[in-house]
Amino acid sequence: MVNIADPVTQWALMILASVVTGACLLIAVAFFRRWQQVRYFRYVHSLQRKYRPVLAKLLSGVPNPSGIAALRELPLADVELLLDPLFSKRKLPERCLVFLQALCAELGLIEVWQSRLAHGRSTAPKSSGNGAYEDFPDRAVMRYLLRAKSIRNLGSLHHQPSWPVLVNALNDRHQDIQSVALRSLAAVGAPESFPVLRDRLHAVAQDKSLSPPLQGLLAAMVSFDLNCAPALLPSLRHPDRQIRLHATEILQTMVRRKAASQPGFTLTPEPLTPQIVEWLLAGLAVDTCSATRARAAEVIVFLADARATPVLRNLLIDHQWFVRLRTVQALAQLRQAAAPLHMDIRECLRDPHWRVREAAIQTLISLGPEGKHQLYEHFLTSPDSITREQIVEVIERTGLMSALVEEYSAGAKGVVALMVEQLASDAAPLGLSGILRTLNPGIRLKFLERFLPYAEAHMRFLEEKQPDGEIPIGPQHVLEFPLRLAS
Amino acid sequence: MEIAAMNPIRSFLHDWVTAFNLVVLSYFFLGNGIYTILMLLSLRATWVHMRRLTYQGLDALRHSPLTPPVTIIIPAWNEQAVIANSVRSALQVNYPDLRVIVVDDGSTDLTLDRLVQSFGMVEMDGSYHPSIPTAPVRAYYINPAIPNLLVVSKVRGGKPDALNAGINLCRSPYFCNLDADCLLERDALLRLMDPIVNSSVETVVSGGIVRILNGCETKNGRVLRVGLPRTWLERFQVVEYLRSFLFGRTGWHLLGGTLIVSGAFAVFHRATVIEAGGFCHDTVTEDMDLVVQLHQWAAENNRKIRMSFTSDPVCWTECPSTFALLANQRRRWQLGLCQTLWKHSEILFGRKYGIVGWLSFPFHAYVEGLGAAVELLGYLLIPLGLFLGLVPPGLLLVFILLGLIYGGFLSVGAVLLEELTYRRYPRLRDLLTLLVFAVFENIGYRQLVLCYRFQGVLKFLAGSSRWEKVAHFGAAAGG
Repeated sequence: MVNIADPVTQWALMILASVVTGACLLIAVAFFRRWQQVRYFRYVHSLQRKYRPVLAKLLSGVPNPSGIAALRELPLADVELLLDPLFSKRKLPERCLVFLQALCAELGLIEVWQSRLAHGRSTAPKSSGNGAYEDFPDRAVMRYLLRAKSIRNLGSLHHQPSWPVLVNALNDRHQDIQSVALRSLAAVGAPESFPVLRDRLHAVAQDKSLSPPLQGLLAAMVSFDLNCAPALLPSLRHPDRQIRLHATEILQTMVRRKAASQPGFTLTPEPLTPQIVEWLLAGLAVDTCSATRARAAEVIVFLADARATPVLRNLLIDHQWFVRLRTVQALAQLRQAAAPLHMDIRECLRDPHWRVREAAIQTLISLGPEGKHQLYEHFLTSPDSITREQIVEVIERTGLMSALVEEYSAGAKGVVALMVEQLASDAAPLGLSGILRTLNPGIRLKFLERFLPYAEAHMRFLEEKQPDGEIPIGPQHVLEFPLRLAS
Repeated sequence: MEIAAMNPIRSFLHDWVTAFNLVVLSYFFLGNGIYTILMLLSLRATWVHMRRLTYQGLDALRHSPLTPPVTIIIPAWNEQAVIANSVRSALQVNYPDLRVIVVDDGSTDLTLDRLVQSFGMVEMDGSYHPSIPTAPVRAYYINPAIPNLLVVSKVRGGKPDALNAGINLCRSPYFCNLDADCLLERDALLRLMDPIVNSSVETVVSGGIVRILNGCETKNGRVLRVGLPRTWLERFQVVEYLRSFLFGRTGWHLLGGTLIVSGAFAVFHRATVIEAGGFCHDTVTEDMDLVVQLHQWAAENNRKIRMSFTSDPVCWTECPSTFALLANQRRRWQLGLCQTLWKHSEILFGRKYGIVGWLSFPFHAYVEGLGAAVELLGYLLIPLGLFLGLVPPGLLLVFILLGLIYGGFLSVGAVLLEELTYRRYPRLRDLLTLLVFAVFENIGYRQLVLCYRFQGVLKFLAGSSRWEKVAHFGAAAGG
């Protein structure tokens, strides 16, 4: 039997008591927390139900002095709770944003948020219906969360005059606050803050232990308008290759975003300044860092400058494969820039690296009829089976195969017809049969009407050429293929 | 006096049993002590992380042009019941630049047909440029209307081989491996990539939490309502997963000793994985093997890498619902653990491995690896010793306390952590059920799993390396 006087037993019982107490305590905490949460959500729900109509009116621009007065009577925490769902959204509609800004200013919230960042806590007096509020208790965790939310709210509001406090928040001791500040600065997009971020980029790129994280800084900087790009010149010319690389990456992303929003966009010296254009062509395109050259190529593609073509031509034969890859990929963005370089892109189909060849195929396809013509010609004349396989793969993957079949069925002649016949007879029977299965029956019939006589002729031709005693693989294939199609 | 009076056999037995008791007690003290530390660390960290979610800026990450592309690789072998919904779930993931590659590893059932039919795939002619050698690829399937989906059929080579084939076909800098029976939450990948993007140190692995799908209502690859499974076997596994992920993985991540990242759902840096040799075939837990291999590779090449674990990106998976399937799964996990620890044994107390070599690896070797044998023998020998009068009754009490009651306390802690933070089981009835199962998990279920784990140790000693497939019946195929 267990001897209570035994020290081991006593010790064991002590552990037992503490463990059981601990477990009960944990269970009690779980239930208490559940009860607290339920109460909290009920409160938020009732608050939102009561004030949602008032908010909806105010945000739609309807003058509502009684609504504002009602909101003023609420404690600060409640007003923030009410508005929180709006600030959690990434993008508010422009019209709604204007009224939300006005409402926050009217209620004195912007001041509260700014003062939280300026002093670490609000210094505003207790609410008495005059739009100023008493802040939350001065507890470390709460302060930290309040700072983060204040920064987020100012960013969501796109409140331009707040940029100095947001820049100040980049020096916060907490890295999370710095990250939120970066995102808010990006959302606000105040051009005055861009040089500050640039200087921070220089510091962080040279000393990785500094905060905020480099990636966050880059993500914030690329969100600025292209008009801020001239401020990047010192970074683009910086002796440190990492800084040059990051600056080029920022410029490239800014340009790409602009191009995506404006079809047919070309870069003139105005937004970039002639110095940057000059440096892009003469400095960055021949930078010692290959990653910088690759990114520079993606900007140069958009330059409306005659000097860009020879620079791009050189980049297409760069000794680093990924520079060639990025250049050839970039040329797909703009037909205008690629027009004088069609033959150079076609040369990339002979590149030793398979990814460059694949990118060249994709670029030629994206360049429209002329690019496709170059591609088909290369396919029909090239003895290189590996490149031909790659061309087939991209044609199938991009859905070009069905377009080709449709063109052929509609009576297309020349390179397109040769291409389809070549694909169907021996280059891509798998992909073609797959396409035919899903094709509109009318088009399929037209295709067969045109292709079957060709296939039979092709088969006869191959049989005649086949030496005696050997298995006629080609003709068999051609024979089986139309039969399979016909069935 | 008493001992001297014993006969030599009894004296030998007494010494032997005393020594074994010390081993058993040290095992429980070490295991429970470390788990308590992990629990306390995780409580604070998860709480802070939860707070952080309110301003995490996932939207900024989603819309940033700098967010790196990711490819989800789904290896599948005989997964006809679940594959279509898993792929659907992967395609629905909210991520700016996403590609999905399904590698059918020579299935003998209708896995490939289901994929072809469900997604309108057509066979295409393709070329293969392997960076890691794999079994040959037989066919490629695409649908130009779903340009980010590629299905590949290859000759059977095992899960690591299928994953390696996926890596070879992937073009993005990161890939996410996803088991074919898993469903992803829409933001899961963004949340998983957040620590990678916002880290100043190169993060090569990022793992997320795996939760149990059994009992949840699903439709078209999405979890509509979270609920607890019906059978007690599955419910115990819910508690077990909570404990393992919420404070096991989180705690080790906080200590910098991540040794296991779930192979069901994790993001890896492609170039680093290729440099480290890809997934290996010589263990049956390729996920753990790769993580340990990456630690070794980084130490040998003086590379500073980071492995991250985040507890909010959720992947839902089907857990075994029968004893036989549970036995298969646990035997394989234990066998894989032993194989991996044995294969990389030079990490043990290796100077250059830091926390991994001095804490995490020894802990996993002793508590998770050998522990299965030590604990099981404890259950047999301590009562026997008591019966023979070789063990004092107090010691038996300590054994029960540490083994059973303290384990229950830790499980309750895991449920509390879930309740304080993510609260995925919103109904009060579910909370009560979880607490009851947490209290009783260590009585019966733990011993059952221990037997399976012990069988895994025996298989390791016998030199087995057979993969025991856990069949999926379609919890992920709902709706």
